[in-house]
Amino acid sequence: MKNVRVFYRKFGPCKYISHLDTNRVMIRAIGKSRLNIWRTEGFNQHAYITFALPLSLGFASECESMDFRVLDDNEDLSAIPDRLNACLPDGIRVLRCAESVHKPADIESAAYTVILEPMNEGDISNKELSEKLKAFLDSPEIIVEKKTKKGMKHIDLKPYILAFDLHEGDKVCFDLKLPAGSTLNINPNLLMNAFADHLGIELYADITRAAIYTKGGEAFV
Amino acid sequence: MIPEKVEKLLLKVQKPGRYVGGELGAVIKDKQEVDVRFAFCFPDIYEIGMSHLGIKILYSLFNEKPYIWCERVFAPWMDMEEQMRAHDIPLYALESGDPLTEFDFIGFTLQYELSYSNILNMLDLGGIPLLSKDRHDLKHIVVAGGPCACNPEPITDFIDIFFLGDGEEVDLEVMELYRTCKKDGKSREEFLRLAAQIKGVYVPSLYDVSYHDDGTVAAVTPRDDAPSVIEKRVMMDMDNCYYPDNFVVPNIEIVHDRAVEEIFRGCIRGCRFCQAGFLYRPVREKSVECISKQCHALCRNTGYDEVSLSSLSSSDYTQVVPMLRELNSWAKPEHVSLSLPSLRVDGFSDDILNEIKTVRKSGLTFAPEAGSQRLRDAINKNVFEDELMHTCRVAFEGGYTTVKLYFMIGLPTETMDDVADIANLGKKVLDTFYSTPNRPKGKAPRVTISASSFVPKPFTPFQWEPQDTMETLREKQQHIKQTIIDNKISMSKLSYNYHDSDTSYLEAVFARGDRRLNKVMLEAHRRGIRFDGWSDCFSLQNWLEVFEACGIDPAFYANRRRSFDEILPWDHLDYGVTKEFLRRECERAYRSEASPNCREQCLGCGSRKYGGGVCYEKR
Repeated sequence: MKNVRVFYRKFGPCKYISHLDTNRVMIRAIGKSRLNIWRTEGFNQHAYITFALPLSLGFASECESMDFRVLDDNEDLSAIPDRLNACLPDGIRVLRCAESVHKPADIESAAYTVILEPMNEGDISNKELSEKLKAFLDSPEIIVEKKTKKGMKHIDLKPYILAFDLHEGDKVCFDLKLPAGSTLNINPNLLMNAFADHLGIELYADITRAAIYTKGGEAFV
Repeated sequence: MIPEKVEKLLLKVQKPGRYVGGELGAVIKDKQEVDVRFAFCFPDIYEIGMSHLGIKILYSLFNEKPYIWCERVFAPWMDMEEQMRAHDIPLYALESGDPLTEFDFIGFTLQYELSYSNILNMLDLGGIPLLSKDRHDLKHIVVAGGPCACNPEPITDFIDIFFLGDGEEVDLEVMELYRTCKKDGKSREEFLRLAAQIKGVYVPSLYDVSYHDDGTVAAVTPRDDAPSVIEKRVMMDMDNCYYPDNFVVPNIEIVHDRAVEEIFRGCIRGCRFCQAGFLYRPVREKSVECISKQCHALCRNTGYDEVSLSSLSSSDYTQVVPMLRELNSWAKPEHVSLSLPSLRVDGFSDDILNEIKTVRKSGLTFAPEAGSQRLRDAINKNVFEDELMHTCRVAFEGGYTTVKLYFMIGLPTETMDDVADIANLGKKVLDTFYSTPNRPKGKAPRVTISASSFVPKPFTPFQWEPQDTMETLREKQQHIKQTIIDNKISMSKLSYNYHDSDTSYLEAVFARGDRRLNKVMLEAHRRGIRFDGWSDCFSLQNWLEVFEACGIDPAFYANRRRSFDEILPWDHLDYGVTKEFLRRECERAYRSEASPNCREQCLGCGSRKYGGGVCYEKR
């Protein structure tokens, strides 16, 4: 038995598959692929798969991962992406498969690529939007309300903006690095909504998770 | 590909996955390469529509033809509709993202009367003129099929063509005709006239209906050589009837999220309230080999690990146990579980239980329909109390603790004693639990009795019967409750719920309505009425105001006893069962007499004329 991790892209219509439904889609794909993986042995036996870091509904991703155990030690891992891709909707593409190195608990941060535009065309120009965004992120503190298990809490997002890099070009497009993982996870929408509230304009953020990093700053593999 | 404008709106609505397509198994074609584009519309939300077997069969069937591209369209939930209307996004098909106006055919499936308001709303959202008479060129042909097509009169102003009976052949014949007419430059009217000549096709605009002073139908007169009686289509050889080997597999969870295999069509029973039991006659079975092959292909192609064996009464399949064994020969090693819905009380055996035993012991559901033996005889349910108790005992011994029992109130000939017996029957099932020595220990039983209101339907022996008034239905609902209280039955072990009688009333009006209801539908749509099947949307009050505004008395359709001699609005449609047979069955009901089922004795219903199925089985 080998612990393996597949990495996949999630995009297009598949952005709108929730975490729970993604689990179902994957279980069916594994069933259809005839891949022999470890199943739970309880009353409700099922193929056992886990996901390192859930993805919010509506986000695309270049770096999703799913873990499972292949029963055959000699299973050809390099063939798994093609086998699964033949059984998945077009908006989920498995990129590679290897034995897992990190643990999900090692995850510390995630990088996102965000394309920002006004919900209603003409509300604000891209130039003004990017200037206001820079100014907003430069402010000494960014207080937002975050829903926690203990109710609403005010937090300052400023120290959590680990990196921000505005791309050149006509569109308002930027990279953003935020804490991620099971202990502290900052959803980029929290920041985008705060910005939209600050502007008083409804914004549309097209968000792609670009990479996941571990505590040492390495890519999660 | 969904329209670009939609993308921005999706995160403002619940479950955006409903509106994006992109599923495994969805068929994408080049629209330049096809001659006929068909928008298969299900007048309810994605999760309901995608659970429906008919759409899966016809979607695959149509798309196997290189010249047809069939796509799916569902009713957007109200939050999405609001966004679409606000941003001028017309209703689009999930495969291409193209609006309904791009389609040659806009096809609806008529599963329940309460979805009619959604049909109008979907046409409106798609930018298609609502009224048939306002659509002119040879495009946008609005067609409809499904069980409610057996009395389509309330929606004849909106639909150009109805398909009666099984759609596997007739739908394709009509599309082939359309393709030819389009090539030959024929007009819409010419196409409709030619279509009316195809067996199973009803073009309502070719018929004039006149009425007596008392409001009943005087005559239905065909024009332009349209047939005076329209016969339903029947697929007789089920083994060679088209069945898909793949489904569109939804990315989001739907109501019935599993593979479905139809094991037979029709029902031998003839329960007198049940429309499906008469519409789909005669019973036609698939062979075990065919079922196993089709199920296996479906599971392999979809990746589903559960398959539901669908029919109107699964345990009436003649080879039920051999079938389950054959299926399990591959299903068990492949971790596929089988489910057998629609089990009859008398068809539940240890053998079946062993083969379908799944890990989740959720509960069992049976439908005795009536509380007393007298009334069960009158409705021809042919289920006996000792059979029910025996079945429950088997279930309890098998580890089940939850039993759901479905009943109807307002059945013809019903008395208050019959109604009280619903509660009494629930009590007896509880008693059976405690008298079963091998019952699950340490667990309390839970029996649920659920009462819905009877709706008289066309092509049943009760098609002439009045529906109980809502007042009477409410009294009966309360009477069950009172009986539970009076008999000091533990409410924690016996729970009772009843369905809203308001929706049943509207259903009764439209089920047996005539063409004068078209204007009611239109007015209801004008007032924004839709999603009547959803209790959070339905308002009888709104509907009553519409009836009032249109000068139509709904009680004329729902609560009036019709005479056996009356011309019924659907009398020009032929579903095989004769009016004489239905009348005989109705009169037997009045005498509380049950009838034998099709395998016991032929009652001469008329379906023998189709030349096959149960009518020609050796008895």
